[in-house]
This record gives sequence, structure tokens and C-alpha cells, in this order.
Amino acid sequence: MEKRMRFENKEEFLAALRDLAREGVPQERIRVETPFYVHEVDEIFPPKPAKVKNFALLGAASGTVTGFAFTILTSLSWPLIVGGKPIVSLPPFVIIAFALTILFGALSTFFGFLHLSRLPSLFGVIPEEEFGNAFVITVEGEKTE
Amino acid sequence: METTDKLAQVEQDVLAAMKRPGKAYFVALGCSATLFLVLLGLWGYQVRTGMGVAGITHPVGWGVYITNFVFWVGIAHSGTLISAVLYLFRARFRTSFNRPAEAMTVFALLVAGLFPLIHLGRSWKFFYLFPYPTQRHLWVNFRSPLIWDVFAVSTYLTVSVVFFYVGLIPDFAIVRRYKEGLAKRIYGLLSLGWTGTRRQWKNYNQLYLFLAAFATPLVASVHSVVSWDFAMSIIPGWHTTIFAPYFVAGAIFSGTAMVFTLVVPMRKILALDRYITADHFESLAKILLFTSLIVSYSYVVEFGLAFYSGNPFEMEQFRYRALGDYTVMFWIMIVCNSVIPLTLFAKRLRRNVTYLFVLSLFVNVGMWVERFVIIVASLARDYDPYAWGTYSPSFVEVGITLGSFGLFFSAYLVFLKTLPVLSITEIKEHL
Repeated sequence: MEKRMRFENKEEFLAALRDLAREGVPQERIRVETPFYVHEVDEIFPPKPAKVKNFALLGAASGTVTGFAFTILTSLSWPLIVGGKPIVSLPPFVIIAFALTILFGALSTFFGFLHLSRLPSLFGVIPEEEFGNAFVITVEGEKTE
Repeated sequence: METTDKLAQVEQDVLAAMKRPGKAYFVALGCSATLFLVLLGLWGYQVRTGMGVAGITHPVGWGVYITNFVFWVGIAHSGTLISAVLYLFRARFRTSFNRPAEAMTVFALLVAGLFPLIHLGRSWKFFYLFPYPTQRHLWVNFRSPLIWDVFAVSTYLTVSVVFFYVGLIPDFAIVRRYKEGLAKRIYGLLSLGWTGTRRQWKNYNQLYLFLAAFATPLVASVHSVVSWDFAMSIIPGWHTTIFAPYFVAGAIFSGTAMVFTLVVPMRKILALDRYITADHFESLAKILLFTSLIVSYSYVVEFGLAFYSGNPFEMEQFRYRALGDYTVMFWIMIVCNSVIPLTLFAKRLRRNVTYLFVLSLFVNVGMWVERFVIIVASLARDYDPYAWGTYSPSFVEVGITLGSFGLFFSAYLVFLKTLPVLSITEIKEHL
């Protein structure tokens, strides 16, 4: 059994959500859809720590490593002295590593977001029902044994 | 009024801009597209005939093409400043500008990316710039500033496109609701199936924050790398440590001016006065004034550095820049970038939208001329008087320059009618 509540007003929506929290309904059973990010929802039902940041860190770190490894290894594979500089000239390689840190970090965060948010979702491309600007709370029924 | 009614009002106001365009729109688009076709035609002519049709020759080997490259990369910067840096600083007024500014960033970078290819001459060899495994086992020279440029600019373009797209995802879902048939399907696909669940919003919020954090260092780094194309050489007037911050300030200055150039008419034509107010323009005008002061300060410091360098070539270069063959350009630069923006100290002028628009045109001209003066004057007179010379652009170079504006404005005009011109979701959030 699903119970759906639809609100035209943000305050009423938050009040209803607070009531649900007071009643002790676990947040796994509550689905919320809003027209924009409502910070107060997180205060009422504190979320699990977001995992997007892990993707950001992992991507950025792999970018740094790739940047240095790529420049150093390709320079060593054909050791040609240019302009009297050492074969492994770290200062210019820092610039490449810096660019790749940002590039990999940003892309990995983006793909991490898609993965965590279950996007792209084929069912959502043309959703069966849309709530528009309404604030919607769906309470799923308790699982019966 | 119920919250949803207010939210629906925002949607309708912003999406009204996407209605079927009028005659004036098509005239504007036709003119811009024609200019772009001129670019393509002249580029084809140059490829067929050879680089001799351009005015660049010994000793001035970098002319208008490189000027345009630096100018357009600079224009892009202010978009990232507004969308990323101001987001991190929680500056509320950014909501009115971030979408057009991000679009500007993407289009300006696309235009900028053309110029190294045009300048190459043998444009079809462009892939030599990228590191790829070849039969010869020879890789690119990572010590060269030109390769740094490839990495910096392509990273910048990719991150800007991702940032622009991510901002659009929830807005695509809104447009989807208003469309029917094929259009609904297209916007639905673009929205990736966004429905606005709590999980999506939570991750989205984090993603936006991190993308802003990743894009922020790019505001400082990309134009620094571009400036090193010059500063790493030993040419008098280029070989100076002030170049990176000087270029970055100039980039934000010119980009902010371009935001005015684009947004003032857009606001008027699309009737967005309720969302972009004089207060918002005033905040942006302060950024313009502030960066203008930094740029002016850099001009003074440059001369100071040359004066105290004890290096006759350096001193002569700056005398030449102000009083030599390009003196007119130099003084246009000073008047447009340092003198006219000082009027923004007057609050009344900062809030006068028409005035800001006119001022922004002067700054656009001034900043283009600045790049020209820096590049051409230094090359025209370096060390050996026997190798001195002057440069003036040929009709091919002038045409291609105008064509680049054509491409930029065409892309922007198409953007106005196909994507939501303001960030609907963010306006709703701050309502």
C-alpha cells in the first residue's frame, strides 16, 4: 500500500514531513520529489554521507598520477634534450598534471553522479506521471512478512 | 500565493523566451551566419592559396589570428568566474547571469579553438599537437608552452561543457513538461530522465559543488598558461613575471564586458527585467571596475619593470609601444580599458543599463586592441634593428576576425531559442 501526499506549498510539505518523522516512519519508506533542492529535508531526515566526493577524489588523484606518469615515461622513452633542459623536467610537467587532475576529477565526479543517481533512466525520459512544481511525499507500505 | 503558482510563473516567464522567434531574430541570425560563412570562405581561400594571403610574415609571425585566440579565451573566463567562483562565494546575484555566461564560455572557447588551426596554415596537421603513439615513437615536447596550451584549453572546454550541461539537466526536465511530440522526447533524453527525487537532488547538489571547485582554479590557470606562450620566450615586452596575473585580470575584465554586451539586449528583448535587475547589473559592474583597476595597475607595473630593468631592449620596447608605430592602438587601449571604466565609480552610472552596454562595447574593443598591441609591438621590434618590421592585417585576416564574431553570435542566438536562458531551478530555489 502506498500513500501519496501532494503539496502546493513548501511549508505545508515540510510540516507533513516533520509529522512523519515524529511518527517514527523510517526514511527508507519515504520517497520525496521536489521541484528544487530543499535543504530542510536533510534536517528532518539526516541523509547518509554523499558518496560523490569519493569519485571526485579518486578522479583527481588518478589525473595527477596520469599527468606525471605520462610526461615522464614518454620523455624517457625517447630521451631527447630540448633547450638544454633535463629529460625529466618536473616544473613544466606539473602544468600537464594540474590540467589532467582537473579534467579527470570533473569527469569522474560527473560519471559518479550519474551512477549514484541511477541516471540516465530510460523510464524517466518521458515519465508516466509528473508532479510539476508540486512537493510530493510517497510513503511506501510496511513490508508484511 | 501558493508556492507552486510562483514557481510556475518563473517557468513561464523564462520559457517564454523559447517561443517562435520573430523577424528581427532571423535577420540577426542571418547576418551572424553570413559573417561566419565569410570566415569559412576566407579560410578556404587561405588553405588553397597559402599563408601568403595573411599579413603575417617576418618578423611579425603572430598577428591577428593569435590576437583573436587570446581574446576569445579571455572572453570565456568571466563565464566560469560567474558560474563557479561566485557559486562558491554564495553570491546570489550570479543566478541572473550564470546560464548566459556559461553559454558564452562554451561558445567563446569553440571560437578560440579555431584560431590555432587557422594560424597553423596546414590545418589538417593539427593532430600533431596531441600526444599520440606513432610509428616513430616520438612524443610531443611537454616542455613547450604550446603543448601546455593544448592541455589547458581542452581541459577548460571539456569542464565548461560538463558544467554547462549539468546546470541544464533539471531545466531540461522542466522544458520536457511543456513540450509535445518529438521535442518532448529530445528534451526528455537531454534531461537523462531526471525526475527530481531526493536522491537525485542530493547527489546533484554535491556534483555542482565539486564541479564549481574544479572549475575555480581554471579561472586562474588557463589564461596564465596562455600568457606563458609569450612570457616563456625572451622577446622584450613578453618576458616578464607579471604576465600571468595580468592576463587573468584582463580575461575576467573582457569577459565581464561581453556578459553586458550579451545580457543587456537579451533582457530587453526577452522581457526578463523581473529576473535581471539593476541591482544585479550593479554587482557585475563592480567586478568590471575592479578588474579594470587591476589591468590599469598592470600597465603601470609593466612600464615600471621595464624602466628599472636596466635593459635597453626592454626600455626601448615600452617606449616604442607607447610612441612608436602602434601608438594609436596603445592609446585606444588606455582610454577604453583604464580611463572610461573609471566612470563606474559613480553609482548612478553603475545602475544605468544602457550606459553599461555602451561601456562594454568600448571595453571589448579595448581588450582586443590590448592583445594586438602586446603581440605585434613586441615582435615588430625585438633585438636586431636589421630584423625590424611592421605588420598590418590583410583583408583575409580582417574577414576571418569578423567571421569569428559571426560564429559566436550565431551560436548565442541559437542558444536563446533552444535552451532555457536563465537557470529556472536556481531562481526557484532563491524565490
